[in-house]
Amino acid sequence: MNLKQSLLIAFIISILSISTWELYWRNKGYYPTINDDKPLWAMHRADVETATQDDYIILGSSRAYFDIQIKEFEKATGKKPIQLSSTGSSPLPSFHDIVNNTAFSGTVIMGVTPGLLFSNTSPEASSWKRIQSKIDYYQKRTYAQRINYALSIPLQQNLVFMSGDEEEWADDIDLKALLRQVQIGNRTQAPMKPPFYNFGDVNLDRNMSMTNRTATDTAFANTIIKVWGFFGKSAPPPNKKATMAFFMEDIKKFKDRGGNLILVRFPSSGGVRAGENQAFPRSEFWDYLVNQTQVKSYHFEDFDQFKNLKCPEWSHLSSDNADYFTRELVKIMQADGAILNHKTN
Amino acid sequence: MLFNSLSFFVFLVIVLALYYTPIFNWTFKKRVLLFSSYIFYSLWNPPLVILLWISTAVDWITGKKLATEENKRKRKMWLMLSMFVNLGFLFFFKYGDFLLENFTLCMNALGINFQSKPMNIILPMGISFYTFQTMSYTIDMYLKRTERAKTFLDFALYVTFFPQLVAGPIVRAGDLITQFYEEKRATVNQFIWGLFLLTIGLFQKVVLADTLLSNTADTVFGAGKSLNPLDAWTGTLAFSGQIFFDFAGYSTCAIGISLMLGIVLIENFRYPYASLGFSDLWKRWHISLSSWLKDYLYIPLGGNRKGIVRMYVALMLTMLLGGLWHGAAWNFVVWGGLHGTYLILERLQRNYLPFKITPQNGIFLAFLTFSCVNITWVFFRAREFSTAWSMLKSMLLIHTDGEKLLQSFDIIKVLTVVSLMFICHWMMRGTSMKTVSEKTSPWVLGTVWAVLFFSIAITQGSGEQFIYFQF
Repeated sequence: MNLKQSLLIAFIISILSISTWELYWRNKGYYPTINDDKPLWAMHRADVETATQDDYIILGSSRAYFDIQIKEFEKATGKKPIQLSSTGSSPLPSFHDIVNNTAFSGTVIMGVTPGLLFSNTSPEASSWKRIQSKIDYYQKRTYAQRINYALSIPLQQNLVFMSGDEEEWADDIDLKALLRQVQIGNRTQAPMKPPFYNFGDVNLDRNMSMTNRTATDTAFANTIIKVWGFFGKSAPPPNKKATMAFFMEDIKKFKDRGGNLILVRFPSSGGVRAGENQAFPRSEFWDYLVNQTQVKSYHFEDFDQFKNLKCPEWSHLSSDNADYFTRELVKIMQADGAILNHKTN
Repeated sequence: MLFNSLSFFVFLVIVLALYYTPIFNWTFKKRVLLFSSYIFYSLWNPPLVILLWISTAVDWITGKKLATEENKRKRKMWLMLSMFVNLGFLFFFKYGDFLLENFTLCMNALGINFQSKPMNIILPMGISFYTFQTMSYTIDMYLKRTERAKTFLDFALYVTFFPQLVAGPIVRAGDLITQFYEEKRATVNQFIWGLFLLTIGLFQKVVLADTLLSNTADTVFGAGKSLNPLDAWTGTLAFSGQIFFDFAGYSTCAIGISLMLGIVLIENFRYPYASLGFSDLWKRWHISLSSWLKDYLYIPLGGNRKGIVRMYVALMLTMLLGGLWHGAAWNFVVWGGLHGTYLILERLQRNYLPFKITPQNGIFLAFLTFSCVNITWVFFRAREFSTAWSMLKSMLLIHTDGEKLLQSFDIIKVLTVVSLMFICHWMMRGTSMKTVSEKTSPWVLGTVWAVLFFSIAITQGSGEQFIYFQF
């Protein structure tokens, strides 16, 4: 057995095959991106522990994630917000975590997507589980996991094949994702989810922006629209009573210690908006929420600046529109006295 | 720290660099190994390293006393002290909630209204492994079967040696401490072979267990409904493969890393799914635990020296406690009980219905053993008895109209991997990877190695924890 020779052969073939793999995917249009995962969320959640009364936290689902652009917000307010939104999630568990596990008494800007906020308080509900798993990860993360994450960042930033998003996109390229794409018939006869492709890029600030392809390629945007249709059909009925009871308790605690909560209804358009208006009529959900919480609240329909904004895939703003939306929203909130301008010059 | 993580890769490179730096002497290198082992453990949960220190200190002092003390009563007292501390840790951290829960149930069954809150105690990683390892040293010292460790450093390193600290193999003092007495340095071939074993172990864990099998097992066992027989069998087979690749993968990594340091660890798995019966299985599956249970439980309980009935009782008790070692829940006890029953039935068959095993009937016997093992895995994996019963009813075709949960490709994938695993175990049952590799051309071995490495590289897992860490 000539192990030295075997090692050399293994080394050469490994380098060649991995380089070929990397180049193949780059050739197919892929580029290195940061994974939107629990360790990234936890890294930002840790910032809450040292945040002051002047700081901002953004909570919510993907709309709060895509539509508020960190740089624009920082330019306009002088403060970089802590982005803790989570796709497909209710904002209630993360708000509950901040209220009950930290002393934060600054400003929380919460995105309201009625279908998610009013969905459920069951720990098994997807909208709850998705964000709760991030909170649990933060609370239990080990030093080894923190080091792993720090070491993984340069690899994620430079190698395409290191992408392995938790969302399990249909266009992920890790081995598990590639095997997931193989379908032979439909043995279970269950409704098949249409392919759900990644349509946003996140950076280390947890700033999410829509990919250029989604904003410009209608056929691609339509694949995402199909997924919203699938989710809309399979969504459970809302549980307004339970969600509001849960929320109100935390709001009271937060207000009592001087916290400032702001609710924002981000734009949606096309069929998604029509569906939301039908399933979650404004008067029954948004107006009721505003009335009950008695906090500063902003609905995109109430502002001329936002009325004509179109979401390419009906639910999120393109990167340019998100920049514009952030700037205008901050102006509105500042004029309203909801947030301050911390800029020194 | 997990072997399948970036931090471990950096950690290992630093340890190897320090270990092979020529300017340091052997004592310093052992200190480096000990210190890195504490770092390895504490990066998971720093305060719990104190338990390791206490266990180490108690067994070091006990060993020292047992080496010189001749008074039988005092010797027994020292042994009891070690047992009290080690088993005390194990009972408090691992079985505290289980005991409390069962005590509450008993009280309520007796009509006494007693309520208790779960203590929610964190389970220190690998506590079952290192407590068994230190206990074996003290028991061997008590029975005068082993020499006292020469220095505290050698003993502390024996308890804490990072490659096998959290999930074994559970190494006996005689096999490991003596290796620390003289400077160890891997030969080039040992080092490369260790690296190869590390790659094989990571491939088993990352690619086979986590990527190809775990999802199917999780889906099936988490379904909470009656399943179609094919789905139930596929889920069970997936778990069967997952737990083997996960645990054997860890052991292979541990043996490989250790070999890179020039230290030889014992084999922990020997192609167990091609076992011809259950006695054979326990000589091939988690060998270090089964030999521990045999030497420190089965034989002291009488073994086969005190009549047939006593032997069966000892066998059953050993397997029930072996089951409980895996986890503080009744389903693990049932798992152990099933294995105990299989072992007893096998001995009865040998006495009353003996037959000769030939290559022709051997594979059928191996397949029968493998099928029976799968039945036991249902209890091991199911969190509730209701799930286990429901699964068994489907698998034994008592319920045939359950829901189809898996897509065709998932079934094909699992059946392919598990069939290949079984065939591989059958073909390898009489040989070893080293022997096969020695007969393989360097080109083929190098290519296989590259394929394994490439598969690991393109499988970006989330570094899922090894299953046996929780035991």
